[in-house]
Amino acid sequence: MAGPVFGRRARPEEASVVVLDRDRASVEAARRDPSRFDALYRKYLAQVYAFALYELGDHHAAEDATEKVFLRALAALPRFRDLARPQDGPEASTFRVWLFRIARNVVANERRANRRRPTASLDVVLGAGLAIPDTTDVEAEAVTRDEATAALRALRALPDDRRRALVLRFVDEMSTAEIAAILDRSEGAVRVLIHRALGSVAKELGRDRGDSTDRTS
Amino acid sequence: MLEHEVEALVADRYLDALLAAVERHALDAPADVGLDPHLREAARALRRSLVRVHPSFRFEERLAGRLAGLAAAQSTPALASASRGRLIEFPAAPASLDADPLLGAILRGDLDPTDADAIERAARAPGARRPLIVGGAITSAALSIVGVAYVAWRASRPAASAAIGIPGGLA
Repeated sequence: MAGPVFGRRARPEEASVVVLDRDRASVEAARRDPSRFDALYRKYLAQVYAFALYELGDHHAAEDATEKVFLRALAALPRFRDLARPQDGPEASTFRVWLFRIARNVVANERRANRRRPTASLDVVLGAGLAIPDTTDVEAEAVTRDEATAALRALRALPDDRRRALVLRFVDEMSTAEIAAILDRSEGAVRVLIHRALGSVAKELGRDRGDSTDRTS
Repeated sequence: MLEHEVEALVADRYLDALLAAVERHALDAPADVGLDPHLREAARALRRSLVRVHPSFRFEERLAGRLAGLAAAQSTPALASASRGRLIEFPAAPASLDADPLLGAILRGDLDPTDADAIERAARAPGARRPLIVGGAITSAALSIVGVAYVAWRASRPAASAAIGIPGGLA
């Protein structure tokens, strides 16, 4: 999470004018008039959907989960409490953390319900959306595709908490503090979780390349 | 601070810089010399591979419509009454209530959607599947009514239609 703005610590009298949550105005508008929730929905749809897709590995399941997340968020919005602190900085969004706590629960329930149902490989599911650079270099493109496939395979092999932390960090570009709030862990624990997850991915990618060097796990 | 916590902190700072580099269209960011190069390579591979995928436009608009329906219902006196534990008028009940069996409890404030334990308990409770059962009961009842109507219709025209329907009829 960002520190004080431009490295300057706000004096107590300034704290009252600091914008704590970048979504505060939109949240207040949606509370007064629920139809204004649309702005928050459009802003976070792709983030929630991508999180659900990486977690569930199925487009339809991800759509169902995304639908539940936003319906529940709208239904519970009157009881949402903005808990942003001055030290969280101007980019903090407790609404996003709150929304993703709802998403975490929806996805966890879906995963429990679908445990016995076979799911498609994530690299196949995401095949159309892989980050392939616009290039005419066929060899370079093949390397990128291979790397993406290997990275997704390594991600799928991770334990739930490590995979979830990496998806929130890389796909949703969340800070350690936000992930900690979503996963109900301390920031230090999340940092260690991500560090270990990176070690596991490095090991898998090295194995794919035939690299026998031992790495952190 | 323990050694693995320091390593985790170094990796975390590198990730902050790497993800910020995306906005500058940079491929990499400076890293602390203490960062394991294999971890750095893994982080770069993940950054390139884990893309944010957008849902289809059709899905986005359909869900927007459902949210608008729920928002409109939230503004009506009928649903406001529901949040105080009274009956909901049937026409005001949004279709979204069928999509998620827990939504009614969340609307009433009986269930916090961010509470993992409460959501898990509610999802496992038999009542969580009630909409399907109600739907099935309605379907069964509808089929029964159709069946009774058909039998009554047949009973009112016994011989003539049977003779027409079966060549060389039973009569």
